[in-house]
Amino acid sequence: MNTTPEVLGRVVATERKPNTPHEFHFWTALDSPVGIGTIVRVESERPVGGVLPQIYGVVTEGFGYTDLQTPLHDVLGSDGVPGASAIAPTERTEIRLYTAAVLRHVPEEPLQPVPMGTVHLATELDVQVALRMDSYVQGAATRGIPVGLYRAGGTQAAVHLDADFLLGPEAAHLSISGVSGLATKTSAVEWLLQSIFTHFPEEKGGVAAVCFNVKGPDLCFLDQPAVQLDDADRAIYDALKVPAEPFKDVHYFAPWTGRGTQLATLRSHEDLQENVQPLTWGLRETLQYAEVLLNKDDVDAKADALIDFIKERVLDQVFSEPRFEMSIEVRTFSDLEKWFSTVLRAMESANQDVWRTHHIATIRKVRNRLSNISTRCKGLVTDDGTVSDLPFGEFRDRHVYVVDVANLEEDAQDLVFARVVSQLREHLEKRQLGVSQVVVFVDELNKYAPADGPDTYVRKMLLDIAERGRYLGLVLFGAQQFRSQVHRRVVGNSGTALFGRMDPDELATPGYQTLAPATKARLATLEKGQLMVRHPHFGQPIFVRFPRPAVMGGRDGVTRYPPAAELPLDAAVTVALRRLDPSISLSWVQDTLALAGDHEDEILRARNRTLQAKPDDVKAFFRAQLKKRVSAEPAARRPAPSLRPAPDDDPYG
Amino acid sequence: MGGGAPLEVRHDDAPPRLETATPLEGDAIRPRPVPGNPTVGFVAFLDGIQRSHVRAHVGTLPIVHGAVAAAIRERVSRRMRTWGTPRRSHALYLPFPALPPEFLSSLAVHCELVDTLADHDGAAPTPQHPGDLAARALTAIQRRREREERHLAEAWVTSASAPLLMDGGIASTELVARSEHVVGAVKSHRTIYVTGESLPVIVGLREGERTTAVVLTSPRRTPVATFYLRLREPGARGPFFGLVRVEVAHRDAEAITERADLVSRWLLAERTPVALPDTRWDVMVYGIRECEDYLSAILT
Repeated sequence: MNTTPEVLGRVVATERKPNTPHEFHFWTALDSPVGIGTIVRVESERPVGGVLPQIYGVVTEGFGYTDLQTPLHDVLGSDGVPGASAIAPTERTEIRLYTAAVLRHVPEEPLQPVPMGTVHLATELDVQVALRMDSYVQGAATRGIPVGLYRAGGTQAAVHLDADFLLGPEAAHLSISGVSGLATKTSAVEWLLQSIFTHFPEEKGGVAAVCFNVKGPDLCFLDQPAVQLDDADRAIYDALKVPAEPFKDVHYFAPWTGRGTQLATLRSHEDLQENVQPLTWGLRETLQYAEVLLNKDDVDAKADALIDFIKERVLDQVFSEPRFEMSIEVRTFSDLEKWFSTVLRAMESANQDVWRTHHIATIRKVRNRLSNISTRCKGLVTDDGTVSDLPFGEFRDRHVYVVDVANLEEDAQDLVFARVVSQLREHLEKRQLGVSQVVVFVDELNKYAPADGPDTYVRKMLLDIAERGRYLGLVLFGAQQFRSQVHRRVVGNSGTALFGRMDPDELATPGYQTLAPATKARLATLEKGQLMVRHPHFGQPIFVRFPRPAVMGGRDGVTRYPPAAELPLDAAVTVALRRLDPSISLSWVQDTLALAGDHEDEILRARNRTLQAKPDDVKAFFRAQLKKRVSAEPAARRPAPSLRPAPDDDPYG
Repeated sequence: MGGGAPLEVRHDDAPPRLETATPLEGDAIRPRPVPGNPTVGFVAFLDGIQRSHVRAHVGTLPIVHGAVAAAIRERVSRRMRTWGTPRRSHALYLPFPALPPEFLSSLAVHCELVDTLADHDGAAPTPQHPGDLAARALTAIQRRREREERHLAEAWVTSASAPLLMDGGIASTELVARSEHVVGAVKSHRTIYVTGESLPVIVGLREGERTTAVVLTSPRRTPVATFYLRLREPGARGPFFGLVRVEVAHRDAEAITERADLVSRWLLAERTPVALPDTRWDVMVYGIRECEDYLSAILT
């Protein structure tokens, strides 16, 4: 065991403040480098079973006092003049007394109250032993994931999480809490993902991350280098053996805007479009999770039964009803609307109130609710069934998939979240995702899995992931401002918890009762770049520093890559098709659209189908999708609106 | 061995008395305002403590355990630290002549033994009363404490050249009594060194005033100069509130005024921090109290 000759303090115990197996007290010199969160080692002077016990602890509370019995004595001694005490020839006897929570006893048995002994600052090796990291960061089969750097009194030590307890199967999930505005939560997750991608053992399989960007440009520039990364940050990267580089492989998915001309994401600068794809779903994908969008109070069991009927008997097949002389293939919302119209018209013609046990009122209600989904989720859900989805089944190792839902309505966000996570789960269950572990990062978790409120589909799904995801390799990284507002079973199942600067009101809630007042005070004033870490191997929470993420922050990103203005239809189509065929020019698109004379929806549908099909001959395919077939001779060209002052090398020109 | 109450609380001091002393500044005892502002002068403080308990009785004879300690606490950058090595001793104090030799031999294996009748006149009858024997033991313990204090004071005088304030008188050893680097502060006033007509001068001293210095002479002690100094305004708290008697070396009668004023300014500077919660806080300087606390901590 490592020993430090310099004695930092001495253990003390009194009847009023006795030592226990889990807590002890020690005093130090007034100028000792001990503070809240410092890890110390106690060397006992009395052998137990022939072994001198060593106890590791982390400082959780500090006291300082003098031999004054009451402040009044100081007032008397200074004649009521505060400045007089400062010129007294002698400073009063003063003590620095600290309370430390035990991290580990060596040997572990017998577990006894902490004995008297000398107290030493923990060395790097001590930190490993104290946090039980020696079982997973030493030797050949290491599975340590660096989470940060512990620093105190000149000691610097890497703090590792156990991959088996962060990403499963032993434990899993991570919860990060902290006040908004410091970017600590997002930064910490970005840093930790980089660390995971660097250190996750290859023999454990592939690991990918799916990040939901729920607000602003937070996660929009993960593949771009950081603007601000100073020497101190680089030193931490070096110490923790993580390259200070942005993510190499990131794929972005975003729905279309309401107009449908461009993707609803702040990553819309034309230089960054190579890895941005639309996220659109049709009827089949949406109906599967209709429960997410339908209000339980509104849609009762009868409506549920009809929806189930549609899913099983109508969707993606030719539905025939000889009595009504109908035969409809329902693949899109438009098809479904036709189906409803036909059924209702037939029932009215036949003067029937009930069809196949479904009452006409129920049918009307379900028609109403389902029909407006494509309106409520415009841009995400398409009438025509065009699907552009995450590559389920083809996920790649160490890749990040960002789903940008920041510009979607709340309902649509829920739908995206429910479907993506459910798909991940289904594919992981079948071991067909493409990677063995996937980290799902959800910000504002209190919104999706609130402690109070209705038992929504999304919350039930999150509870299920929290409780069973670790067996599948489906790992939830949830961030929230107030941990107390997240469902207990979700945070309770998070094997690892990170805390940035906390709101004092939040710290007053019951979930933080186990923390000492000084620890809470430190949490309330944590600097940016500091975290308190709870992990199954650590006997007590530990404070660490982590570097700024090596990726471009959202604010820097939108400054350097300003979002593109929403383009006119022809220009938007040009931009989209040029990703498949760079030779396509604005004038060609304008000519083509002028000849077709289609409605705007039809043009967008043609674009979407082209993007989905990725044909070899983009021009021909796109023309073919237009409703009115374009003839060989171009029509008279209408004047096109100028996108911007056209340079000589206008890419659309 | 059993326990017992500390003997110190049962011990009666010598009866209060007045003693005549020769003035060194003029021919009468007068109040003298201390000129100038309080000045920090002392760099160290010496004190000793003792603890005594009757641990057992052999027949009617008390066996007293005595523990004494003394230390000098040096002030460096306004913080106190121990100077040199503190003196500590534990011993059993008992009347050797009244106890069987084999009993003494068996005790001596475990602990230092001190004969409380060592200075008893062999011709006189051996004291028998347990109270008398306990009082003799206490006297022996006090002497042991004084010896330890003396030892440290001499060490200071020998090796240091800065002012030391010791709790009590300085006259017990010539080396110390003649040193310009040692000042004694006596807090109790069982013996007052004035004649009756001068007593109102002492009682009437105001804060920051001292009396005329006098010389104390004794057949067995080195002459020293002494004067009374009022550290704090007594108000209605009694005539001795804040009153200390200061002892300094009697070296140069011509310079005593300057010396007494300087030492008075040093002592007045030591009024802060106040030595509360000690009950003698009005006459005890913080450095002495801190020294006592230190000794209490090490005398286990």
